[in-house]
Amino acid sequence: MPKESRPPSLHWQGEPTRGEVAAVLAALEPVAARGYELSAGPRRVRTVTYLDTVDWRLRGKGLVASHERASGPGTLTIDGDGVSGTTRLAEPPQWPARAEQLPDGEARDGMAPAMWVRAVGPVLRSRTVTREVAVLDDEGKTVARLDWAEATGTDPVTTTPLVRVSLLPLLGYGRDAKRVRKALRTAEGFADADGDLYDGLLTAAGIKPDEAAAPAITRGMPADVAVATALHGFARVIAVNVNGVLDDIDTEFLHDLRVAVRRTRSLLKLAGDMLPPPLVARYAPGFKWLGDVTTPTRDLDVYLLEFDALAAMLVAGEPDDLAPFGELLQSEREKARRTLARALRSQRFTRLIEGWQAALTEIIERERSEEELSAESLAGQRVRRMVKKVVRRARSITPESPAEAVHDLRKRCKELRYLLEVVKPVCDQAAHRAVIKDLKKVQDILGAFQDGEVQSHSLRDYAERLQAGSTRPPAATLLAMGELSARFVEMQLRARHDLTEALDRFLGPATHERIEALLP
Amino acid sequence: MKVIASYNLKGGVGKTTAAVNLAYLASARGRRTLIWDLDPQGAATYLFRVKPKVKGGSTKLVGGARPVGAALKGTDFAGLDLLPADFTYRNMDLDLARSQHKTGKAARALARLLRELADDYDVVFLDTPPSLSLVSENVLHAADLVLVPIIPTVLALRTFDQLAEFVDTFDHDRPRLHAFFSMTDRRKALHREIIAELPRQRAGISPTTIPALAVIEQMAVRRAPLPCYAPKSAATRAFEALWSEIAELLPA
Repeated sequence: MPKESRPPSLHWQGEPTRGEVAAVLAALEPVAARGYELSAGPRRVRTVTYLDTVDWRLRGKGLVASHERASGPGTLTIDGDGVSGTTRLAEPPQWPARAEQLPDGEARDGMAPAMWVRAVGPVLRSRTVTREVAVLDDEGKTVARLDWAEATGTDPVTTTPLVRVSLLPLLGYGRDAKRVRKALRTAEGFADADGDLYDGLLTAAGIKPDEAAAPAITRGMPADVAVATALHGFARVIAVNVNGVLDDIDTEFLHDLRVAVRRTRSLLKLAGDMLPPPLVARYAPGFKWLGDVTTPTRDLDVYLLEFDALAAMLVAGEPDDLAPFGELLQSEREKARRTLARALRSQRFTRLIEGWQAALTEIIERERSEEELSAESLAGQRVRRMVKKVVRRARSITPESPAEAVHDLRKRCKELRYLLEVVKPVCDQAAHRAVIKDLKKVQDILGAFQDGEVQSHSLRDYAERLQAGSTRPPAATLLAMGELSARFVEMQLRARHDLTEALDRFLGPATHERIEALLP
Repeated sequence: MKVIASYNLKGGVGKTTAAVNLAYLASARGRRTLIWDLDPQGAATYLFRVKPKVKGGSTKLVGGARPVGAALKGTDFAGLDLLPADFTYRNMDLDLARSQHKTGKAARALARLLRELADDYDVVFLDTPPSLSLVSENVLHAADLVLVPIIPTVLALRTFDQLAEFVDTFDHDRPRLHAFFSMTDRRKALHREIIAELPRQRAGISPTTIPALAVIEQMAVRRAPLPCYAPKSAATRAFEALWSEIAELLPA
């Protein structure tokens, strides 16, 4: 059928009607006054659960996912920019759910690319009463439809009812649709709707998807306050991701938590001298412990996320050959996750995060004097120092340099990247983007080099453990792992070859100019 | 996109009734469906309560001066659109003949027009006027399946044979013919005899019969497809069986 654009929607500002036919038809009287007959369809009541990932990925792509239920398990619907689909559910869904946990069908197909590896869960629930009203011409033919929808947010907060009237035009009856819309727009009680029903409910419930995650540092902020503000933001990220890790909702909760830990450790290393030394001495070892305790699970997550792609890489072997290896990874992950969960539920962790946040808050809220080093000056000083360090190490890399030297450069580049991300608000934004782009190119190659080495070593380690297990793996499994190991070595060699050229480019005058343009 | 024509040389045999009800059932079962009312009398258009008017008439439509999409009307039923009749369709033969000067293929002009809609619909029903003319020749060339309603009489069967012979003369794009008994009356011995014997003797004749029932005549009063107001009637069940047969003949 010829595609139609999103229907225009109006906001009814009068009294809610609860979908009662007389009240709805009375509100739509301006349409009847234009010579149309109105025929009301049945009143329908359903619960609508709006879904998104914790980092609003669907909304970011202009998509709205919802689970609608009147009786039975209901339907799952996706609607938005160029994507739409509905799947009838055979059983009640469980939230949160990753793409592979959603039922097969159009809705999952539409949601999965935007979800990536993240799980969707309820954002808000509403009770929605709808009634469709057909607008008929003098032949009794439907020439347009009006969808009267009253939604009341019920969870996480109860909102007042929100009424939207959507005009659904009918193919070949555009003129009638225009007349109906004009009749309503000029009538008392109707106004053009700002966004759809979901937007209205989010606003009414006080949920702000676009709100910045944490307060950013500013140029004039005292240096210690700026450092504490950035660290406080990282601590918040750690804290908000803990439940997602414990519930094993998706692998990104742990990833985000670990990135925040790494950022914390880097910033303590590069600008921790701005904070009281006893405070750093007390908490820094805790973040090293937290980093270490999260590593095994994350490493296994990465393996498992890439497992299908790894299996597809096999040329001599078959993907199924890797099945015993996949089972080993799964069982290792379960063990690692249990250890991690114990750590995250421990008093040590609670004291670390709560104590750290409280100490940082004290610094942020301290009294300020005028003669203090500013965030802007600190940023310039520390970025220049870090750049110098990275450049020195990069210059010393030759095709013959040992792998350790390349790993060391990779770590320093990562520290520079984290530092640049922290100081972004006090930098020239265009120059910042360009520097990050330059740095990212080098980091990608260094990452490929590191992955190649780590993966080939760990494959050897896993192969030995499989051999040592109670049931010896088939020869085909070990052969397939050997083939993968060779691939990783190949990847490492390729990265090593690309590195020389990338470093030449990075060490050239353009990067230096961009870094100077970036700083205040 | 599959094109199904409801066609017979004879009038009053149930072509429009079949086209309207089967198009409704096709859309109700999830196929994006269009029905083109090619009969200037506009009976199908009337049944869907649409005004029998196409801007620019047959000349602009057939001549390509106005896109087919601009003439489409949504019906009251989801997934079912209508290309309405227009009184100028009485001259469609002439317009099709004129199109020969442009393309050299007057008998395939309708097929060409329908190609514009190939991405938008899964099924197109053509409700045709009773004649053997350039319009019907176009319809037969455009169709994948020609549904032929026949009243179980000897003369009606003769016209079906004539149609089969005519289609056999096509070099290619030969549609499949699928006849079914329409307006059957079980009280008549001849009807019973022909319905029992013919599907066994001849290929292309459906075992499904559409009975002559007052509920079908009500369509013109209700101005709606039969399954909308009599979903449980024997006639609706017969049309459902016929649609199932057609759906098997023309998989999506």
